[in-house]
This record gives sequence, C-alpha cells and structure tokens, in this order.
Amino acid sequence: MRKVMRVVNRAQCIGCYSCMYACSRTYFHIATTKLAALRVKNYAGVEGAFSIRICIGCTHPDCAAACPTEALTIREGGGVIFHEEKCIHCYKCVEACTLNAMQWDPIAREPLACHQCGICAEYCPNDVLALVEVEDDREAHND
Amino acid sequence: MINRILKIDLTKKKAEVYSDEKLYEDFLGGTGVATKLLYDHHIENIDPLSPESPIILSIGPLNGIYPIATKTIAMFKSPLTGNLGESHAGGRLFMSMYDANLSAIIITGKLDMPSYIAIENEELRFVPANSIWGQSASATERILRSAEKGIGKRSIIRIGPAGENLSLMANVAVDTGRHFGRLGLGAVMGSKNLKAIVISGNYRHKMENFAEFNKIYNEIFWTAVKSPAMKKYHNLGTPQNVLPLNKINSLPTRNFSQGFFEGAEFLSGENLAKNYLAQQIACANCPVGCIHLGTLREAFEDSTHFKTFKIPYDYEPIYAMGTNLSINDPNALFKLLNTVEKVGWDVMETGVTLSWATEAFEKGLIGTNQTDGLILNFGDAETYQKVLAYMKENKNEFFNDLNKGSAYCAEKYGGKEFAINFGKNGSPGYITGRDAFLGFLMGVRHSHLDSAGYSIDEKIISGDLNADPAEEIDMLINEEEWRFILNSLTICLFARKIYTEDLVLRALKSVGINKTSEDLKNTAQKIHALKYKIKIDNGFDLNSLNFPEKLFNVQTGRGKMNKAIVQEMIKTYTNRIKSLVETLAQ
Repeated sequence: MRKVMRVVNRAQCIGCYSCMYACSRTYFHIATTKLAALRVKNYAGVEGAFSIRICIGCTHPDCAAACPTEALTIREGGGVIFHEEKCIHCYKCVEACTLNAMQWDPIAREPLACHQCGICAEYCPNDVLALVEVEDDREAHND
Repeated sequence: MINRILKIDLTKKKAEVYSDEKLYEDFLGGTGVATKLLYDHHIENIDPLSPESPIILSIGPLNGIYPIATKTIAMFKSPLTGNLGESHAGGRLFMSMYDANLSAIIITGKLDMPSYIAIENEELRFVPANSIWGQSASATERILRSAEKGIGKRSIIRIGPAGENLSLMANVAVDTGRHFGRLGLGAVMGSKNLKAIVISGNYRHKMENFAEFNKIYNEIFWTAVKSPAMKKYHNLGTPQNVLPLNKINSLPTRNFSQGFFEGAEFLSGENLAKNYLAQQIACANCPVGCIHLGTLREAFEDSTHFKTFKIPYDYEPIYAMGTNLSINDPNALFKLLNTVEKVGWDVMETGVTLSWATEAFEKGLIGTNQTDGLILNFGDAETYQKVLAYMKENKNEFFNDLNKGSAYCAEKYGGKEFAINFGKNGSPGYITGRDAFLGFLMGVRHSHLDSAGYSIDEKIISGDLNADPAEEIDMLINEEEWRFILNSLTICLFARKIYTEDLVLRALKSVGINKTSEDLKNTAQKIHALKYKIKIDNGFDLNSLNFPEKLFNVQTGRGKMNKAIVQEMIKTYTNRIKSLVETLAQ
C-alpha cells in the first residue's frame, strides 16, 4: 500500500485557496498561491465551479517519461522527484500531464513537482483533498 | 510591508508608481491610508462625477499574508451623498493587488472612450471596450476572464449598465458575489468611461520572520476553522440573523413600519440553506466560506426547458428587497436580486428607494402619472421587476429620479419623514433600537458596519447590558475607532473576534511593524478625526442631524424611542465629534 493525493470531494471546494497557500508556504516560505504544486481553477462566469488539478502520484508518470534529461525520476510510492540541476527548462513535463497537474514556476522556469506530503489536504477546510492509501493508480480516483 | 502606490491618469493614459513611507507609518494602510489620500485630493472642490474625482483602492499590511485579511477599501467622493464615499469588498482583489506588489491605486481623469484597464504588476494597458459597454456586470466578468489571461490569479472589478448610466446608486461588482456596494462608486467609474479593471501580479513576498509568521498564520487559521461563530457564517451565513431579529421585533418590514415580518420563516437562513442553497464559496485566503449562492430555477417562456441561476444572497439584500418590500417568496426575491446584480445597483439603496416609493404611492405623493401606470404595492414582486426594468432604461423622469436614491426622491416628491436614510445613504436592515440608528447617523459611512449599534441594542434587549445613554455613545465610538484599525489592515469584520488587539499587535510585529496599544488608539482617533473633517468640509452639517421622523413612531426591538433622549444623545455625540475634529488643528 502507498499513500498518494486524491481529490475526494471536488464539489465541496469553496475556492479559498488555503491548499495552495499551504503548499507555497511550506516549500518556499512565501505567502502566495503561485508556488503551489497544485491548482484550484475557477471557470469564467460559472459561479462557484472549481476544478482541482493535483498530482495523483502515477506509478508510470507521463511527466517523467517526457523529460529528456531525467530531471524527473519516479518516486517510490508514486509520483516524481525533481532534480533541479538536470532541468533544461523545456516545459515538456507540464505539457505531458493530461491532468494539468504539473505546475510551473515561470520565474525559475521549473516544474513544481508535488511531494505527496498532504499539507494541502491538512489545510482544506472542507475535506476536498486527501492523502489516501491505494494499491494501483486507478483506485480512489479523483472525484 | 508593501508601500507602493500606483497612480493612474485616465485622461493622459499615464501611470506611475511611488512610495510614501511616512503615509504608511502614520496611517497603517487600508482605510487609514485611503482617508489621507482622499483628504489630500480636496474633494470639497470636486464634482463626484467629474474627471478630477478620485477613486482610491487600498489594502493593508496584513492582506495577502494572514487568513481572513480579505478586504479592499475603496474611497471616493460619493455621488449619492456628495460627501465621503467609502465601501469595502472581499473577493480576490486584495490578493491580486498584493501579488502585483501594490498597496494602493489612485485613479483620476477620464478615458476618451469606453475602456477597461489591465494591470499586471505595475504594467498597465488601456483597452478600448466599446463591445462590452452595456453588458451586464456578470457578463462583463465572463468576457474579461477569457479575454485577459493575467500573470497570476486575476481579480476583475466592473460596473453594469447602472454605472454606465450614472445611477447614483450604482455599485462595482468584485469577482463572484462581492461588491463595493454602497455610496455609488459605480457611477464614478462610469463617469470615467471605465468599465472594468483586471488585475494580476506575480511578485513573491518572502516572509522575513518565517517561524513567527507560520505560528500566527496557524493560530488564526485553526481558530477560524474550529470556532462555532465562524461555522455559523459558513453554514447559514449572514441570513442566520433573519429569525433572531424577527423574534425581537427588529426586522424592517414594509418600509420600517414594523420589526416583525410574517414571512420571515420563508426568507430565513435556515429555509434558504435547506431548500435553495447551491453552495458556499470563499474569498481568497479565507477558510470560512461565507458567500452563499442560492439557486433560482426558471422555465423558458412557453417551454419545458429550464435555466438555473446562482444568486449570491446575504442578510442585507434579504432585508432590502425582501422583508422591507414584503416579499416572502424566495424565488421572487432571488429574481429581483438577479436583476439588481446584473444591472449593478447597490441592493440596499435600491430597496430603500423602492420602499419609499411604495409608501409615497400609498400616500398619494406620487401616482400612476409618474409610474407610467404601474401600481406600487408592498409584496408585489412582479411590479417591482417592472420598476427595475424601467429604472434601467430611465423610462421617464420619475424612474430616472429613482436612480438618484431615496434622499433625492423625498426631497423632490415629499415623504422625507419616511425616506429611511442616514446622511442620504439608505438605511441598513435593523430596527433594534436607538443605538443602531445612532450608529447609522454618526458613523462615517452611515453603515451598520461602522459601529454595529444593533449589537449594543441586542445586548440591552437580552438584559446583558443596562441602558445608559452616555455609556452607549462611548461604546459606539470605541467600536467604530477599533474598526478603523481592522479596516486599515484590512481584516474582514467577521473575524473581529479572532483579531483581538493582542493578535493584531503580534501580527503587525511579524511583518516588521512595531506598534503599541497606545499607538493604535492614537491612529484610530486620527483617522476618525480626518474622516469627519472631510465630511464637514463637504457640507455634512453636525448641527442639523436627526432620524427620519417615522422611526420615532415605530416599535423598535427596545420599544418606542424617547425622542428627547435621542436628540440629547445626538447632541452629545455631535459634541464629541466636534472636539475630536478640533484635535486635528493641534
């Protein structure tokens, strides 16, 4: 068994961004939503409709496969580990993720790879996100 | 903290950013800084709808950093009252300003054609927008959210047709379900040909003292998430007040004729949550999520197709377009609110003006000649829909006048005694007693949020507090002055019990601002005095203040008011303000 992130109750999202603030705060010590390894998207004019794009910790991650320099390697338990020194800033990892979960830091021009740590879920006031135990990728799929 | 002010001249299409350390040292941010900036514009010599008229948007040192510091302050000269204009809005605007590394934005001048401004950090584009002039406030957001990609999370503020038509009660819509509602900022934007502002940024503010920041962040966040009071704001929202106010005879009904509404059950937070609530949403960086969206499901005309709207609802709109107009059907109420939202009026001024019009019609001060044949009756939602449609198109002189608010209409057609406004601003929804009304009358922006006098009344009604005129005035002034601090930082007042003075001082220290309790007190008094100086300079006459006469004949939550005592209280309060303003000269 391994623990990875899932969007378990998408429709309970209130769009407060506490998850993104928590991620940026934890890994960058910065009060912002923009350095988070996940994104809460809101749709134009559709009041209150949010879509949460978060890394689900694939065992065969498309992002890592697309990386030409092995800057993203497969993490034990699912997902990827980012090796900054190998990154050539090509953006291919972001494009490869159909979920649009891989976020990008436009200033460092690097991917923001999820650590599968669950800090975002901890700060979600409405149980939208959870770190869940799964055996294979298709389990407990995004809501 | 940020100390960068973006100054935009719409006539010259030029902008510059400057810093003013002393301004922020003296006035903190938010409402304090905005007050000083407005004062420096000498608005007493300016027509509110002229190019020179300024719009000031201002955030404070805790916005973007700590949870529930979610407000942005707008200050301007109110076209509705001709005096100090101030309105606060939540949403994402504070976050986008913080991300753009801007603590204030000052806009003057007039664009040569309908346009919007896109702000990305301090970079500005003036975009001609003839195609969106005339679009509803809601459509404008949809269109701009796809037209403007932004460089971070975008905030979009815009006016609807009401602002374009210079309705003096036009609002400015902010993101989803939040507004600079009061005092007519929408008309000021409209007079400048400014349809909307889209703002985003990508600055990163590293926390100098991360450990302390993290500690305080968690303290606020978890208190907010766990507190039963904040849970209530999430569960029922502000409409939680409908039934308790009704129970103590304090819910304005049929133009403040009584405090008991027989249909309160239908419009209660409980009923709306159970049968109409689609979902709650939140301002950025606030785990509470108090914004309630109700569902309005309507059939197409002559068809079995259906359409569903999500309508933001809160206590004040429920009072203004519901109980005070005697509308008890939530669907009818939501339909009215939907129209007001799209056209972009201040829902409270709209409701007060319609309730004045209905009583004026009853009393024969206006007739079908003015109303183009419409017969105004409390409870007749269909006719009110027509009134709104006629107001939107300024169908005749009377409907054009309705767009100027209740004070203007009463001056012209009569019925001043039952035009329930204070300082020309339509009343908030409380008949708890004299302290609510005193707060509306003497509060700098004539808002229930100035000093929350209704809360003092409620404590006296419940027996937790004894009535004492002198003490009540003290409490009103102390509350208003503490709120100047919260509104300078700029905290959502729903979190006022979390942001105690001790927490405020620690939070300020964590971002490098060292203040004492005494400092805050002095700053608050200075802000208070300066705001009143602006009011007096603009013709607010402290010697002729009174309540609308009708209120003396109504049973408030605390019973009938004693006119002599109230007038004595107004006099005492006024003297306190006069001596406060005199301190400015020293």
